[in-house]
Amino acid sequence: MSKKERDQILGHGAESDGIEEYDNPMPNWWVGLFYATIVWAAGYVAYYHFIAKKSYVRELAAQMAEAEQRWPRSTQLAKVEMTPAAIAAGEVVFQANCAACHGAALQGGIGPNLVDTTWIHGSTPEEIVATITNGVAAKGMPTWGPILGNEKVGEVAAYIISKGQAPQ
Amino acid sequence: MATVPSPDATPSQAAPARALSAGVYDDAIVKLFFTATVTWALVGMLLGVFIALELAWWPANAGIAQLTFGRLRPLHTNAVIFAFCGNICFTGIYYSMQRLLKTRMWNDTLSRLHFWGWQLIIVSAALTLPFGLTQSHEYAELIWPIDWAITIVWVIFAINFFGTIAVRKVDHLYVAIWFYMSFVITIAVLHIVNNLQIPATLTRSYPVFGGLTDALVQWWYGHNAVAFFLTTPFLGLMYYFLPRAVEKPVYSYRLSIIHFWSLVFLYIWAGPHHLLYSAVPEWAQTLGMVFSIMLIAPSWGGMINGLLTLRGAWDRVRTDPILKFMVVAVSFYGMATFEGPLLSIRAVNALGHYTNWIIGHVHSGALGWNGMLSFAILYWLYPRLFGRPLAKPEWVTTHFWIATTGIVLYTVSMWAGGLTEGLFWRAIDATTGQLRYPVWAYVVEKLAPFYWMRLAGGTLFFGGVVLMALNFIISARAARATTPATGDVLPARA
Repeated sequence: MSKKERDQILGHGAESDGIEEYDNPMPNWWVGLFYATIVWAAGYVAYYHFIAKKSYVRELAAQMAEAEQRWPRSTQLAKVEMTPAAIAAGEVVFQANCAACHGAALQGGIGPNLVDTTWIHGSTPEEIVATITNGVAAKGMPTWGPILGNEKVGEVAAYIISKGQAPQ
Repeated sequence: MATVPSPDATPSQAAPARALSAGVYDDAIVKLFFTATVTWALVGMLLGVFIALELAWWPANAGIAQLTFGRLRPLHTNAVIFAFCGNICFTGIYYSMQRLLKTRMWNDTLSRLHFWGWQLIIVSAALTLPFGLTQSHEYAELIWPIDWAITIVWVIFAINFFGTIAVRKVDHLYVAIWFYMSFVITIAVLHIVNNLQIPATLTRSYPVFGGLTDALVQWWYGHNAVAFFLTTPFLGLMYYFLPRAVEKPVYSYRLSIIHFWSLVFLYIWAGPHHLLYSAVPEWAQTLGMVFSIMLIAPSWGGMINGLLTLRGAWDRVRTDPILKFMVVAVSFYGMATFEGPLLSIRAVNALGHYTNWIIGHVHSGALGWNGMLSFAILYWLYPRLFGRPLAKPEWVTTHFWIATTGIVLYTVSMWAGGLTEGLFWRAIDATTGQLRYPVWAYVVEKLAPFYWMRLAGGTLFFGGVVLMALNFIISARAARATTPATGDVLPARA
């Protein structure tokens, strides 16, 4: 459409409260953008599902396998020594990392109470260390082993045992 | 009754098309919806400011369960979407459709049942949500008796709406009416399907759909509530009020047809983009994503038709605050409808989903597009509807700048906060292979400055609304003091 033909009034104004409309063409860049997104959409579907056959379920499995190789799980668990020094060091670790969920007095909160007689994941020093090290994914407890390291895990376990009613 | 010249007949547009104005139209109902809009804007946005404070400083809930974030957040969203945005849509629709169709609303009783029914629904939301009575479906929290009330009131509105179209005195249906129709029809369908619940007690019910189906239906609803409650009716309002305020013809009739049909067709499929990386089948996720990308142009069609209608009037944008509001509204519409498709791309969604970026995104739409367009309409309507000038016209410009500053603070803080959150959550310690920030609360703490900045932005935006409400109140008082009591400036019903 030439410049001269632009801005032609359609003449609906009397039927739309005086609002007139031009019979202008749609901007070319806009039409181009619309077509481009449609072509892209078809291309993406073809590429993702039929050419590359991508799937995030498989992607996740591949990444987990790679992580398993790069960061092998530690098989050695921390040792618990019930010395006053270890317990004091454990208290510092506990207040910095664990108190947010288990409470400053171990009374529980987001996470369970650690000073009552219920031990959901076992009460022996080995079981407590395993729980701290590996976490409880389903309940949102992180795997603390690699974050704290074995020494601190042992200390914090000593602190919990010293406070609680777990058999020593 | 004294004859007052129709406020519609502005000198430049004293078109014969508007000669019908006097005495024919029901403007009393428009005034009711106008007042409700301003009232609920104050309530809904004050709630928003309060819950923003709670996120920055939780003791603000004073230990009262009814004031906690979880209880008040749905009340805030319901109040701004269904109360504020709903009422401005009804204000604009009742005002413009009578004039576009050259006829009074089909039935005045239905208009009033619609008005009072809708306000009662909002009051009942305020009496249930803070007490924990909820269906737990986002934007569809209201319990089943209120859902039934919404259905009845909506059907009343629909009968009145289509009745008015049936008795219209024109052949041509202006583009705004198409957008209003998509609003009336689609919201009915969405609301009914997503609220199919089997009542157990007066306040409790069980959804008919379960699990994945429920999630898909919910986000088909949630996404299209944005489309057909916050987008299409507002585009209809834009198509009426923008050319009226600019006093220029709409840029392209052809563009309005194409972008209308492509928008309503494509929007309805895009819901699954809310469920990327979930248990929804991957092909359905792909569908949600590609339909979102294809939505960019249809959405922008509305923006460019609005902005190009301003050709030759840009000098007036410098001086006319109503046009300022409109330009910013349409620009934010364009920005938010680009950001949405961007967020629906898998890789971007993996970073942005569940973060405050999403909150920033919805507010650039809600504050920028819905809010700013609503303010433009309210200011434009006030002298025409109530037949008296604004007492403080200079406050309108002040409101514009306060609101714009508020939106910028809001969106920037939520972008920054959202990206911070997204990056912290995914950070992996290269030596151990574990999450770098496994303690959730640690990341929350880092967000505090952004929450305070957002509170400042929200407070500014709310302050602008207070200024607007004061302006209307002062104008009403001033008019009462200076003019003799002649009653309604517009003639009584025909």
